[in-house]
Amino acid sequence: MPLAAWVILAAALFSIGLYGVTSRRGAIGILLSVELMANAVNLLFISFGRYRGDHLGQVFTLFAVALTVAEVVIGLALVILLHRVRRSDVRVDEVKELHG
Amino acid sequence: MSLPIELALVALFTPAAMAVILALVPPLRRTGRPAAWLSVLAASISLGASVWLFADQLGHPSRDLLESVRWLPHAGAAMANVGLRIDGISAGMTLVVTLVAFCVQVFSLDYMRSEPAADLGRYFTYHSFFIFSMLLLVLAPNLLQLFFGWELVGLTSYLLIGFYFKKPSAAKAAVKAFWVTKLADTGLLLALVVLYTHTGGFEWTSHPGAEVATIITLLLFVAVMGKSAQFPLHVWLPDAMEGPTPVSALLHAATMVAAGVYLIVRTNPLFAQAEFTREVMVWIGSFTAVFAAVIACVQTDIKKVLAYSTCSQLGYMVAALGAGSVMGGYFHLTTHAFFKALLFLAAGSVIHAVHSNEMSDMGGLWKRMKLTTIVFVIGSVSLAGIPGLAGFFSKDLILEGMLESGHTVPWLMLLGAAFLTAFYMGRVLFTAFFGELSEKAKHAHEGGWEMQLPLVLLAIPALGAGYFASRFAGMWHLEYELHLNLEAGAASGLAILGFAVAYVMYGRGAPVATPAILRPIAKLAASGVLDRFYEGLYRVLGLKLAGAVGFFDRYVVDGLMNLSGYLALTAGQKLRRLQSGNVRDYVFVVAFAIFALSAFGILR
Repeated sequence: MPLAAWVILAAALFSIGLYGVTSRRGAIGILLSVELMANAVNLLFISFGRYRGDHLGQVFTLFAVALTVAEVVIGLALVILLHRVRRSDVRVDEVKELHG
Repeated sequence: MSLPIELALVALFTPAAMAVILALVPPLRRTGRPAAWLSVLAASISLGASVWLFADQLGHPSRDLLESVRWLPHAGAAMANVGLRIDGISAGMTLVVTLVAFCVQVFSLDYMRSEPAADLGRYFTYHSFFIFSMLLLVLAPNLLQLFFGWELVGLTSYLLIGFYFKKPSAAKAAVKAFWVTKLADTGLLLALVVLYTHTGGFEWTSHPGAEVATIITLLLFVAVMGKSAQFPLHVWLPDAMEGPTPVSALLHAATMVAAGVYLIVRTNPLFAQAEFTREVMVWIGSFTAVFAAVIACVQTDIKKVLAYSTCSQLGYMVAALGAGSVMGGYFHLTTHAFFKALLFLAAGSVIHAVHSNEMSDMGGLWKRMKLTTIVFVIGSVSLAGIPGLAGFFSKDLILEGMLESGHTVPWLMLLGAAFLTAFYMGRVLFTAFFGELSEKAKHAHEGGWEMQLPLVLLAIPALGAGYFASRFAGMWHLEYELHLNLEAGAASGLAILGFAVAYVMYGRGAPVATPAILRPIAKLAASGVLDRFYEGLYRVLGLKLAGAVGFFDRYVVDGLMNLSGYLALTAGQKLRRLQSGNVRDYVFVVAFAIFALSAFGILR
């Protein structure tokens, strides 16, 4: 497969993720969408790494995966806390106590 | 450390230690009389050390000792030292200060007897502190330490004038004295700054050049005019008589007001370089001598007469120093300290007996108070410069110095002042001590031994100090000779004439009426025109300036602060609307920003 195909695939994944983040109301759904976007970027890293012919892209991806895990952990922790406080489905539209 | 240094340290720090103990141990201070006796003990130790120091100095007239430690370190070298300088000038002044202070404290034991115990303790604490401050000034090796002593005596003066602070007039007088002298002290502070900028030190022996020396000495002279009550900054001294009479004797006659004259004597190497300043001093001094003597002639309060007399005599000293007669000025300072302290204490003895300051309440006191009358006569005659007494020698020296330096008009003014001096002292003598026994004086009697002893002690130098003039002069390698010529004769003749005129006018028990010639002056003195001038000046300059500075502070300095606060606050109010709290809004912003940046990057 040519590089362009991988880039198009990654862009498609990213766009799906972005659509998910903007359209979903549940916190879990948003987190999943964010994860999709992150993986689209990882895919790009690997593709371009392959294209360049070295391992730099894969190294970056490993770091990015680890960081994404940390991000998800914090996100899920927030979701659990919100759930405990509100005792209902976590709808992000309803959580706006900190607005200016 | 040599013996004189040790003696000076004892003289300096015994009263200081006593003041600290009395100040920090209120139960001791509030006991009153024991505290008073402790203070007298400290003063007597200080006096003993000073006598020894002075006797030692007489044995080595040309000795000039300096002992100092580094005080303000500055880039390796010392910026200023603190220490003791012992030479003929400071040893003599130390003796004068401690002797008068001792006499005054002993006198106060009886004079202040009826004060509440706590107030008595406070009074003597101030007195002990005064001795320390004054000696700190006198023994200072440089101008910076002298300045500290100078301010401390100003403080004790304020505290002691306001001793009866429950009396509004006393509180006002204290504040007035403080303000006027502080205003003048700015001159000393500025002189220090100029001296340091030009020579890098605070030594009065330096040679900063004629112009700078003139500026420095003019600034110093402003401070002297305040402290030594020279026209037009003399206004605080008559008001300072609100303090207890022994305080007037010590601070406002003998020692503190003489600090200004002492400053000139000390810094004479600088003054010697400043021709113009000395010319100013001659004229201001002579004018003050005459002016204050004239006002003294119309006062009815015995203390006010003596206060204006002090002004007048300080004018003599300043004029003498201006004419270059350092010996004359300093010698007159010394003799004046003795006889004026004596006069004030004698007046205190009278006031204590008749419970009034007014001379019309006195009269015929000779019949009730023999000793007081005798010492008052000695003091008056000495002050007037009748030949043979201390005042004659010093005044003669001043007049001679004036004539030698070619100041004929000031010399005539001082001669006139000599006549007036004899006249107003004669007026006090004949109305208060001789003539008919007045109503209030009927039950008058001498005070206890505590009041009599200092009178006798001070009467001795008031009589005989003049005979030590040559020993005194020897300390500066000067020759002293009494020239019994026409000039000396003129001065003493005028003095005798003054007494004679006073006798003719008041000698036959006439009431204390103001002579017709002097009535306009009395009116002028009573109107307080100078006070009102200062008040007007204060209103116009002081308040307007304060108003302008206040306006600047309120609207410009504070305005800038308030403006920045207002801007930050308003900006925050506007920006808070961006923070909707809606997660999807943020995501849209982020996504839109990404698209915009990408588009920018591609299309560029």
